[in-house]
Amino acid sequence: MTIERLADLLANTNPGFFILAAALMLPFARDVASRAILMVGGPLVALIALISAEGLSINLQTVQFLGPELVLYRPDSLSFVFGLAFIIASALVGVYSLHRRDALQDSTAMLYAGAAVTAVFVGDLISLFIAWELTAIASVFQILAPRGAESVRAAVRYLVFQIGSGMLVLAGICMYVAATGDTQFALIAPSQASLPVGVMDINAPGAVLILAGFGIKAAFPMVHNWLQDAYPRTSETGAVVLSAFTTKLAVYALARYFAGLEWLIWIGALMTVFPVFFAVIENDLRKVLAYSLNNQVGFMVCAVGIGTQLAVNGAAAHAFAHIMYKALLFMSMGAVLYRTGTTKASQLGGLHRTMPWTTLFCLVGAASISALPLFSGFVAKSMVMSASHADPTLFIVWIALLFASAGVLEHSGIKIPYFAFFSHDSGRRPQEAPFNMLLAMGAAAALCILVGVSPGWLYQFLPYQEAAMEYLATDLWTAGHVLQQLQLLVFAALAFMLLQWRRWYPAEKPGLIIDVEWFWRRGWPVVASAVGKRVRKAGRVVSGPIGAAGGSVQLAARQVFGREGWVAARVPLSATAVLTLAILGIVLAISLFA
Amino acid sequence: MSEEKEPVVGEPGEHPLSVLLFSWMRTPLFKTMLAWSLLVTGAALIGLEIWLAFRPIKDVTYAPGFQGMFGFLAFVFAVLSGWPLGKMLRRSEGYYDSRGGEAGRDD
Repeated sequence: MTIERLADLLANTNPGFFILAAALMLPFARDVASRAILMVGGPLVALIALISAEGLSINLQTVQFLGPELVLYRPDSLSFVFGLAFIIASALVGVYSLHRRDALQDSTAMLYAGAAVTAVFVGDLISLFIAWELTAIASVFQILAPRGAESVRAAVRYLVFQIGSGMLVLAGICMYVAATGDTQFALIAPSQASLPVGVMDINAPGAVLILAGFGIKAAFPMVHNWLQDAYPRTSETGAVVLSAFTTKLAVYALARYFAGLEWLIWIGALMTVFPVFFAVIENDLRKVLAYSLNNQVGFMVCAVGIGTQLAVNGAAAHAFAHIMYKALLFMSMGAVLYRTGTTKASQLGGLHRTMPWTTLFCLVGAASISALPLFSGFVAKSMVMSASHADPTLFIVWIALLFASAGVLEHSGIKIPYFAFFSHDSGRRPQEAPFNMLLAMGAAAALCILVGVSPGWLYQFLPYQEAAMEYLATDLWTAGHVLQQLQLLVFAALAFMLLQWRRWYPAEKPGLIIDVEWFWRRGWPVVASAVGKRVRKAGRVVSGPIGAAGGSVQLAARQVFGREGWVAARVPLSATAVLTLAILGIVLAISLFA
Repeated sequence: MSEEKEPVVGEPGEHPLSVLLFSWMRTPLFKTMLAWSLLVTGAALIGLEIWLAFRPIKDVTYAPGFQGMFGFLAFVFAVLSGWPLGKMLRRSEGYYDSRGGEAGRDD
């Protein structure tokens, strides 16, 4: 292959494909060197491909599939910043995972990362759905990684939400395409085709279903608990992988289709506030981070809802910064889990004595998420705060975001580093984290500081570059702005000290905090049992001829679907799998083309 | 010639970087000093903002010290709400493992 053809391939291929290719090769890598090459090299090639993209807002790679034209690669300034963040995160995850030898987890993590990168660069709804589902399926292996009964149950619950989200998106796409015939992003909002962010009319057929599907992935209130359920049950690397992609992919999709939708402002504001209260009382520090993730995604959703250029820039910048500092915080807790076997605050404390590098990196992550000036959170979150403050009708939203900012300092800025590395001495003296973990944490910490000290580096990649640069020149570093943010943090830290001294800070107690998951883990079985009793009672009353007919149907169903039925015994598994796929394909085709 | 013992810094087995970076936090005066420095810094920030705020104040959110006070009160509110919420929502670790509990369990 000539250099020109290679350059052409890089410039016109979705960068996610390179990570996917590395993922498929990973199971065959036997030694550490080849694993390292694939896990870091895949994202590196993807980065080179992204930088050398032939142009923005044009279809660079298309393919005809069952009628519609699929746009496999269409980078623009919105997808660029999300894609860049995902590629960097996948490289960090690659380095962070090098100490472990688990081919399944490694390759599915890369598959997940590759699918997420692919998803942000495709240019039509059908390709987005395919990549979207691939992220769901690949990510579930991260939860299965510990291979315990509890992780299997958590993975099943996680999968129900992810597949549910996919089904809603699919149904919405089918309705939308059937009504409009448009699948490509550029055609969905033709008047805005030249702008990076177009919008889908919420009144269009299927749009609400698509929004609901995106909402589940973004962990909207009441469907947020899959996140706290799954993330703390993964391995030390699994939570890092999961924290980077799923929810931010949803934020990207919301920004792509629903920027400016007012519902999102209020949903986002609610998302920022309620996790604060759960995080205060949660004992598992990885669960605290999961609540913190909800809270941070709330800022992004709110900004997408506001929809101004400043706000969309804020959402994208916050997503970028958040991917880095949340990965850093999850990495530091992963290192603690790896060395001590727990992330329960009640069993930790005093780890700074033997894990000083991990402590230091965790503190950088904590400073970043708390939006301390000169750290990445400040330069990203400021835009969201300014966008909400600029509109007087959003005063309540701004107050909610301000409250959430103080809450972030409490649960992620102070609670995480304080209870893990300082606080009372647990007596544990674990070894420092392995070198590859420290390397990944160091790189993430360096990025947090780089973005904080030199925000222009990040702002040049934002969807509305001019607006971002204007904000940098006129608003970001004004004395009033910096002072106000410092005041918020200093006085909140003072409140922490006061509460600790007076022993008013609730002690970290072992236990489980119930949330809305109670409804499907406890409430549903109770309701199902009560209803089942009544149905059985009624069944006995109307038994007789109806019962006999019902019995025949049940017998036939057992033969078809039962484990020991005729179909299970005679028909090969491959045939049933093909049949199932065929049925799904027919349903899909009818929905698309009818 | 007797071997000179190296002076022990920090605790036995403690990482030297930990001693360098964090051992000063164990001095008895640390908490007092930190609290006072936070208080003084907070007051100084308000003072500085007053000094800078010669322009008329548009609304309460522009009032000097608003963010500081808000941060303090919001933090206290969030933390103190943990007492009743903890009592209401905390269950034993095996809450969902008990029989009659979780949906989809075979055992």
